[in-house]
Amino acid sequence: MSLRKIGDLLGAAALALGAAACGSSSSTSSSSSSSSTLVGAGSTLVAPLVSVWQPEYLKESKVSVAYSAIGSGGGIAQITARTVNFGASDAPLTEDQFKEATKEGVGVVQIPWALGSVVAVYHVEGVPTHLKLTGPVLAEIYLGKITSWNDPKIAALNPGLKLPATKITPVYRSDGSGDTYAFTDYLSKISSEWKSQVGNATQVKFPAGVGAKGSSGISAAVTSTNGSIGYLTLAYVLQGHLDDAVVQNAAGNYPVPGPTTIEAAAKTLKEVPADNKISIVNPPATAPEAYPISTFTYALVPLKAPNASTLKAFLKWAVTTGQKFGPKLDFVPIPEKIRSVDEATINKVEG
Amino acid sequence: MSSQSATPASSSALRLSSAHHSLADRLGDPVLRALTWLASAVAIVVLAALAYKVFSLAGESFSRYGLGFIAGENWNPSQGTNGYGFGAADFLFGTAVTSFFALLIAAPVSVAIALFLTELAPRRIRRPVATLVELLAAIPSVVLGLWGLIVLAPVMRNTIEPALQSVLGWLPLFSGAETGLGVITAVVILTIMTVPIVSAVTREVFATVPTELKEGALALGATRWEMVRIVMLPYARSGMVGAVILGLGRALGEAIAVTMVIGHTVNGIHWSLFATGDTLASRIASEYQGAATSLQISSLAYLAAILLVLALIANVVARLIVRRTTVRLPVGLGAPN
Repeated sequence: MSLRKIGDLLGAAALALGAAACGSSSSTSSSSSSSSTLVGAGSTLVAPLVSVWQPEYLKESKVSVAYSAIGSGGGIAQITARTVNFGASDAPLTEDQFKEATKEGVGVVQIPWALGSVVAVYHVEGVPTHLKLTGPVLAEIYLGKITSWNDPKIAALNPGLKLPATKITPVYRSDGSGDTYAFTDYLSKISSEWKSQVGNATQVKFPAGVGAKGSSGISAAVTSTNGSIGYLTLAYVLQGHLDDAVVQNAAGNYPVPGPTTIEAAAKTLKEVPADNKISIVNPPATAPEAYPISTFTYALVPLKAPNASTLKAFLKWAVTTGQKFGPKLDFVPIPEKIRSVDEATINKVEG
Repeated sequence: MSSQSATPASSSALRLSSAHHSLADRLGDPVLRALTWLASAVAIVVLAALAYKVFSLAGESFSRYGLGFIAGENWNPSQGTNGYGFGAADFLFGTAVTSFFALLIAAPVSVAIALFLTELAPRRIRRPVATLVELLAAIPSVVLGLWGLIVLAPVMRNTIEPALQSVLGWLPLFSGAETGLGVITAVVILTIMTVPIVSAVTREVFATVPTELKEGALALGATRWEMVRIVMLPYARSGMVGAVILGLGRALGEAIAVTMVIGHTVNGIHWSLFATGDTLASRIASEYQGAATSLQISSLAYLAAILLVLALIANVVARLIVRRTTVRLPVGLGAPN
């Protein structure tokens, strides 16, 4: 009996020690000052790419990169609180967010490090894939003004197709998302009504339709609802075998989303503004093959970091060598011009 | 310990052995006391810290909107548009409607299950059936939500909603276009989640009805239905109300499964159960992670504070009612997750 008591005591002591150990280990990981580990958090859009980078970069440089895909908003919050080495966001920071993220005179910079695109998908029985749509028609569908699939405005774009009278159910992301940012960026550029009424952000108040959580939620809702239309990152469209619409660009063509058309859109970029905020939706008519709804996603880093050399080396690798892992995951490598801007921005980070 | 039955000889042996290992014994008691104190204190501190954090996070929104937030009918997180601003009315409405209708269905179903299991079922199938019903509560809500999205929503849209509309379409409740993803699908999901809790507690309540009363009624020539109506239901009434309110606590706070099927778009105060909507908990679940402005985060915390107060009220009321019966409720059964 007394032996058992001693055992209990030892057990309790071990528990207490364990708890203490857990406490200390979690506190070190959250401050993350170790030089051989980088901690990042944010965007879910870029997460598949980062997860391919992690083992490759570990092999090459013996630095392990931990990344939590907690969403763009979370990434901004974490880098503002400096609890991570880098954040990741699909939406560029607003001026207010830049101000909020400045701690003790040290600001953050955003580095466009991956290029993705958003595709309109639909599920209408009796309608084949690659239905033709235009920006204004998409805007009116999501504003709740075009409500059935045989609307004359859709029929006019698709002569020869017999469209059913099925009710349109627009599906949108109910959680904050880079896909929503890119999609509403495009609709704001196309439609002044959209711009003033709904606006452009990772979360907006959609005037009509049904919200679904996450890309997989959109995919499931569109698949199970006859008459639905949604928007998704290209990779999800290909995985989910969904019908995708082709959206008319400024030149009047209907480019199919893919590496060449997305790259064509990225190449229309003339110059990168000082804060690296880039928008390449609705590219000009001078690029006849450019896909109209593409977006950059950003890494966020402070201008002064204790392990700056490790962080800079990783970011430089990500915008150069790292890009070659993109195409397999339907990420288009960032264009040359952006890469040199990125490298200049990365060099601003000090130890 | 078996000290009452011990003879004087063995108790002195006990004392001897404890004197022999006095160090461990003397340490054991204070350590045990300290550890149990610490564990209880940690639980209370966590609760207090959590409540404090929620209320302090809500501060910015509270100082901006005050109590008017509760009646505010706009929720627009898109900064830069005219409508940017926050209010809780739509989500309070959605929470009230989904919880009310879920319990309206769950309460009679649960009472029927409890009656079946305590009075009517053959003795050898009572245990397995009770276990299976309780297993419903063990389904992770995210799994139930996924099932709701992929399986239930199309069935609602294509079969159940048109059927309801053709028979009961003259009621405003069943008017409007069918979407599959909307308030009524959330009601079905919440019903499935609350039935195991309400039926388990109701079963316990029924088990407290004295056998003499039941046998007395039967001996006086009452049929089984008369016995249930005259003896059991009146005896168990307050306990059943408590069970339903505990179910309400569960329904109020359910977030993930509701988020996946309720459709998110709010339409103001309306009667249609087919329309999309949102609840306090599901709006927090869908928007918190991606919240872009501090006012939005604060407003979501304000929603959480409202939810916390509602859940607290539901729990206290349930406990006050159930206390009058002899059933002891497991702590936290009605807590939202």
